[in-house]
Amino acid sequence: MKALDKTTAQKIKLAIFVIAGLSLFILGVYLIGNQQSMFGSNARIFATFNNINGLKIGNNVRYGGLNVGTVKGIRMVNDSTIVVDLTIKKDALGYIRKNAKAALGTDGLVGNMIINIVPGSEEIGLLNAEDTIHSYRRITTEDMLSTLNVTNENAAMLTADLLKITRAINSGEGTISYLLKDSTMALNLEQSIRYFRQTAASTSKMISHMDDLIVSLNNKNNVIGLLRDSVTANQLKSVVSNLETTGNDMNKLVANLNATVTRAKEGDGAINYLSNDKSLVKKIDTSVNSLDATLHNLNEASIKLNENLEALKHNILFRGYFKKLEKEKEKQLEKEIK
Amino acid sequence: MGTQKTINSLQVFLTEVGDISYFAGRFFTDVFKRPFEFKEFLRQCYNMGNRSLLLVGVTGFIIGLVFTLQSRPTLQEFGAVAWMPSMVGISIIREIGPIITALICAGRIGSGIGAELGSMRVTEQIDAMEVSGTNPFKYLVITRILATTFMLPILVIIGDAIALYGSYLVENIKGDVSFQLYFSEVFSSLEFGDVIPSTIKSFFFGFAIGLVGCYKGYNCDKGTEGVGLAANSAVVYTSLLLFVIDFVAVLVADLFYEL
Amino acid sequence: MKKNTINSNAVITIRDLKKSYGDNYVLNGFNLDLYEGENLVIMGKSGSGKSVMIKCLIGLEEHDSGTVIIMGKNIDDLDHDELDELRTEIGFLFQGSALYDSMSVRENLEFPLRRHTKKFGEINDASPLVMEALESVGLARAVDLMPSELSGGMKRRIALARTLILKPQIILYDEPTTGLDPITSKEIVLLMKSVQEKYKTSSIIITHDVDCARAISNRMILLVDGINYAEGTYEELVEMEDPKIKAFFK
Ligand SMILES: Nc1ncnc2c1ncn2[C@@H]1O[C@H](COP(=O)(O)OP(=O)(O)OP(=O)(O)O)[C@@H](O)[C@H]1O
Ligand SMILES: [Mg+2]
Repeated sequence: MKALDKTTAQKIKLAIFVIAGLSLFILGVYLIGNQQSMFGSNARIFATFNNINGLKIGNNVRYGGLNVGTVKGIRMVNDSTIVVDLTIKKDALGYIRKNAKAALGTDGLVGNMIINIVPGSEEIGLLNAEDTIHSYRRITTEDMLSTLNVTNENAAMLTADLLKITRAINSGEGTISYLLKDSTMALNLEQSIRYFRQTAASTSKMISHMDDLIVSLNNKNNVIGLLRDSVTANQLKSVVSNLETTGNDMNKLVANLNATVTRAKEGDGAINYLSNDKSLVKKIDTSVNSLDATLHNLNEASIKLNENLEALKHNILFRGYFKKLEKEKEKQLEKEIK
Repeated sequence: MGTQKTINSLQVFLTEVGDISYFAGRFFTDVFKRPFEFKEFLRQCYNMGNRSLLLVGVTGFIIGLVFTLQSRPTLQEFGAVAWMPSMVGISIIREIGPIITALICAGRIGSGIGAELGSMRVTEQIDAMEVSGTNPFKYLVITRILATTFMLPILVIIGDAIALYGSYLVENIKGDVSFQLYFSEVFSSLEFGDVIPSTIKSFFFGFAIGLVGCYKGYNCDKGTEGVGLAANSAVVYTSLLLFVIDFVAVLVADLFYEL
Repeated sequence: MKKNTINSNAVITIRDLKKSYGDNYVLNGFNLDLYEGENLVIMGKSGSGKSVMIKCLIGLEEHDSGTVIIMGKNIDDLDHDELDELRTEIGFLFQGSALYDSMSVRENLEFPLRRHTKKFGEINDASPLVMEALESVGLARAVDLMPSELSGGMKRRIALARTLILKPQIILYDEPTTGLDPITSKEIVLLMKSVQEKYKTSSIIITHDVDCARAISNRMILLVDGINYAEGTYEELVEMEDPKIKAFFK
């Protein structure tokens, strides 16, 4: 009897062991499957892309940063369109609008590809199963950095130009007197200068922002964390785009200034109007001074930015990227030589 | 002289491989023949499964702990500590869990089988079984090989779970990562492509442990050294075979992944 | 010549049995007849091939040539199942007892019953059979012990009980008294005798022990150089002048 009890006890323990193992396995499979939207009620939608940038089956789909599904299939439909099948949780589908866009992104700096569904406008109806959404071009870290570089170069150039012009305005009395001959010109100039001052102020603010960012970028320990953090990434993106618009504005301004100066050279009778308005003359004077200071700042900031970018180049993580750039340049040079 | 020696050792090696293959073949022809020794199978499952649990659990726990502690500084340097769960999860599920558990079991179960069957052979217990009408191959060998084959995957799963828990503890203490966050990170980085091959691999590991242990014990030389040698060579051959299987498994899994 | 005739009374007949391991020619044409109800003692030096002979007899080792006929059946002609069935009629007491270490005494005794169900039919409760066999060797109290808890003499008796449980017609004893003290040896010999009387078995007893041989044998065979060198009753053999035979009885 005793022996029988022993084997029964063993059998029970064995059963517990096996059940524990199997339930762990099933739990694991369930959790993984859950992540891949394999269980639960799902719906299928499609997204079209020109370039899927190495997206793979099983990659996650996010809506507003929330995992809502996975990539189920990828197929080419013609020479420039790739259709991606997405399985989306049914309850998430109730919030996605028909004009939502799909955008490719990476999970962190070197993470897996993900599809971000960007919310559409509210007045449009909700997406149904089997519907197709269109895509944005993916903004990659690389894109961001290269835009940053170009913008920076532009800013430097712009600053140099502006400096030249203001110096000319400041020193060339002849020019000023020409300028002051034309009254409409003077009005124009007043407006331009206000505009310029505004822009310069915002640029200087921007540049200081940029500076902060670049400094934190340079902090080696932080670089991945920072870029992983989508908030910072967004910030960086917006800064870059702002900088771009500012650059555009400046360009416009310089064109304006140029035109003004040329017109001033041609000389009309603005001098009368202007000499009567003492405050305006004063205004122009202070404006030009502050403009000069701002431009000086801008110049310095650009140099700093350049330095920072240089430092970034040496940062271990980005080294590969910059090397690639250099190599490409070299290749192009070689091609040209040939 | 030298070539003669290598030829001889090559011959020994090939005979050994041939013998083991023959032994495996005998397993496959006999495993489906009645009678099936179910009671003995359960007893062996208990011996190999439950009795290895503590060892596998402790090892898994320490591996999870140590692995996390060791990789932490490096990840920290890159500011990528947040990736710890994914990294630990993938490496434990795909590779470390199965191979460490299998090696532990090769040491514990493989040598145990080798020594037990070896001493049964030496003290004529196997002969006694034969004359009392029980096919010792079915009773001793098939039950043990089946038991290792089925128990190892379960041990691997439990070992994986404990290793992940150990890793979680480190993350929780050092990085203040919650249980839920840790495991949701682990599972979000895992795919079926990680779990299925390593589970299949574990079955093969179990089979190899049982097969080599039984082969060595069953064909043990007479004498007490024979038993020691059987136990010892069971562990050595099994460990070697485990790595070969692991290698092949990785190749095959890769192939499937590409398809 | 008696040597080459097959006696109809014989339960076991061995003719011209040869067995070698590589260059080691262990048996070179061994002959043997075991008659019903008789105790046949086989003596030989250590390493002369007694155990090999008895294993060839029961089919644990394959012989190179010769014939082995057990109860009218040539073992070479039997398939595995028929051989198993034949083995239910033969008890084998191994030289080292060969109890299953991992099983209790009860499980050891139940083990042969598992497959030899043809002889007994389906056994629901083996307990009475186990106890009967244990009582016949006087060790009923050891039923729940493990082999490691037994002394050498007890192991021998349990092993005997394990062979008795199938109620065999033939029992093969491989050195039943070796390694035991004289008193225990004597007990074992008495036990063997009582078993033979109780179950009416025919036995082959391999031994070095002259006292044991004298006490139990009806007939003896001396195995020397791989053949049955001499045959006869104990008294006949003791009288022989051959130095090789004399060496056994010093
Ligand atoms: N499996 C085997 N492989 C190789 N040689 C063997 C094998 N079994 C027995 N032998 C050899 O056969 C010979 C006879 O062995 P066996 O065990 O029959 O001796 P024995 O007469 O029973 O001696 P003992 O009285 O010591 O038991 C020995 O020389 C032994 O080396
Ligand atoms: Mg012997």
